[in-house]
Amino acid sequence: MDLYKIKDNEPAWQSGMSKNITFIVTKDCQLACKYCYLVGKNVKERMSWETAKTFVDYVLEHEDEFREESVVWDFIGGEPFLEIELIDKICDYLKLRMFELNHHWFNSYRFSFSTNGINYHTSEVQSFIKKNREHISIGITIDGTEKKHDLNRVWKQPTADANGLTQPSERGSYKDVVKNIPLWLSQFPDAGTKVTISSADIPYIKESVLHLYSLGIHQVNINVVFEDVWQEGDDARFEEQLMELADAIIDGGWYQDYACSFFSEHIGKSLDPERDNQNWCGAGRMLSVDAAGNLYPCTRFAQYSLRSKKALIIGNIKDGINENLLRPFLTLDRITQSPQKCLDCEVASGCAWCQGENYDAAQTNTIYERSTAICLMHKARVRANNYYWNKLYRKLELEGRREEFEKNERDVKPEIC
Amino acid sequence: MMQYLVILLDDSSVSYCHCDNPHKEHHLIGLDDLRAGILYAMKQNLMIQFVYPDYELPQEYLDVIDTIDHHDIVPHPMKGDVVVAKDLETLTSMQADAVAVLRIGKAELFASGEAIAAILPKVQRLNIVITDIDTFTDDDLKQYNSLLSRLNEVLKEEYLTGHTPQLNLLTDRMMLTKPNHCNAGVENITLAPNGRYYFCPAFYYSNPDDSIDPQAIPNQQLLRLDHAPLCRHCDAYHCRRCVWLNRKTTLEVNTPSHEQCVAAHTERNAARQLLEAIRQKATFMPEVEIKEINYLDPFDVRKEW
Repeated sequence: MDLYKIKDNEPAWQSGMSKNITFIVTKDCQLACKYCYLVGKNVKERMSWETAKTFVDYVLEHEDEFREESVVWDFIGGEPFLEIELIDKICDYLKLRMFELNHHWFNSYRFSFSTNGINYHTSEVQSFIKKNREHISIGITIDGTEKKHDLNRVWKQPTADANGLTQPSERGSYKDVVKNIPLWLSQFPDAGTKVTISSADIPYIKESVLHLYSLGIHQVNINVVFEDVWQEGDDARFEEQLMELADAIIDGGWYQDYACSFFSEHIGKSLDPERDNQNWCGAGRMLSVDAAGNLYPCTRFAQYSLRSKKALIIGNIKDGINENLLRPFLTLDRITQSPQKCLDCEVASGCAWCQGENYDAAQTNTIYERSTAICLMHKARVRANNYYWNKLYRKLELEGRREEFEKNERDVKPEIC
Repeated sequence: MMQYLVILLDDSSVSYCHCDNPHKEHHLIGLDDLRAGILYAMKQNLMIQFVYPDYELPQEYLDVIDTIDHHDIVPHPMKGDVVVAKDLETLTSMQADAVAVLRIGKAELFASGEAIAAILPKVQRLNIVITDIDTFTDDDLKQYNSLLSRLNEVLKEEYLTGHTPQLNLLTDRMMLTKPNHCNAGVENITLAPNGRYYFCPAFYYSNPDDSIDPQAIPNQQLLRLDHAPLCRHCDAYHCRRCVWLNRKTTLEVNTPSHEQCVAAHTERNAARQLLEAIRQKATFMPEVEIKEINYLDPFDVRKEW
């Protein structure tokens, strides 16, 4: 007899054991999404081969400083596939040098991409995928229904503004992305998409998740933006949408083969001050490099990501990392950066934060002030999440499948950033 | 709880800590600002520490200063509660009842072991401030160890004869059973000659735009020990835990640099040796225990906490 199953949220590759190293290959993108945290996107800052090569040499020749078992070479933008030729060259060089150096990452690496999907079908991208098939993860961002997707994910205007920054047009990108989804899923059937929710998106959550399921996407990773964009009443509207989504997933039986990261059994619990004191965010354990050769603890600390603070640069490709600048990141814990209301919160587990957004929103130049802009949204999510699991377990109970489910349930904890 | 108000009487007031004072021009604090600072201290019940320039103040300033209990931090050869030496030579001619401060770079310090050893028996208390501690290298550490060992020899002999000079680098840790940090922004704040408040003089010297409202300090909790992830586990109790140096080297006021931690632990371990050496000959500070440890930077053992 087949085991009764419920689709769990997929953990990341080599979760917790890999080093994430990110190339910001370009700060350009075909789109100008309205919720994008990259406030400084532009067409000028494209990484050169010399910069990429120097960075690769620095990382691989300092093996002692990068002892993680595995590595994820991450390529982001803007839109990374705008620089597919450079990426191809970098990846070839990475493979060659890891082999030549007998580097411990040679047999444990991945190339990872988050793309808007527009160029996915091109011969250059397809050729690259074919060449590196066993070592690639690609996530295409599609936000849901055409209406929801096009609400935010719009093409940029053909010309930049006076400061060289891209500006949004009225033209949505849904049709340009959705045409590539079948090809993507045929190559990466287990791939997930990442959906971002801002205030205006709330009414479309349910239909969007179900739409993505109907496209054949089994894993929908979805989160609310960390920025302080929320309006009065958004939490109630959010809770209502999630409850409707819960009904649809359970009543429609989607839960068996499809997952939505909004629903997790691990969220909404109180946290122990000692046992659960770890930082949520991985900033500082990651490493990013931009076109200028500057190094960052995460891309969110590059200038194009910051609204109100200066870039937090921890080194450069010539001089390497200033280890003193990493110390605050590597000693960050939940208690030290959280306000009292978070420490007292009875539904604290799963409430995420982004260190870059914390830094950007802080009263002073610190990464030690946790932004709580999503507080009400998290609490709304917890209420809907409780509803989801209570309803699902009752259904399983009535069907006589609960015990079987609990026995076979995988212990998947929420992924940190 | 706030306890002290430091008032810099002039832009050229003497520096007594890690940060150099880049101001050379004389620019006295306004009399109204001085009076306001004193009034603030009276209302908040703060002890005032006046920091003087190297010239005689106008009588009207001295009259205002005399309206409140205070301590004086002065440059040599002025008389005060704390006297900052210009150099090693001036140390020898200092008043015996004052706390002497010597600001010195590491190269000169390492070359001055015998001179300092000769001075120690003549002082009541000497604070050595290493002005470039953030540049300590492994080689510097070896030299620093040698210097502290040499000074330990002198201190041991003095203590065994009943004379107990204090040297901040060695004897403070030997006497402490709990942290004794600077606590700028938590226990003390500074009024600068521009009439604005700062965490400490160094914040004013390095960037006059870094002023604060003493009644509403944003993220003040980050200045406290309980919000310093490394320091709250640390037993180098004598370390000043300088928030200005922290911010300069790590960009965060609550995180010290590797170099600061290593220097402080080198002093801590030397203090442990001094304590043991004295105890081999006499009963001394039985309530103090300095454990043997196998690290110099708490960052390296953070996962054990």
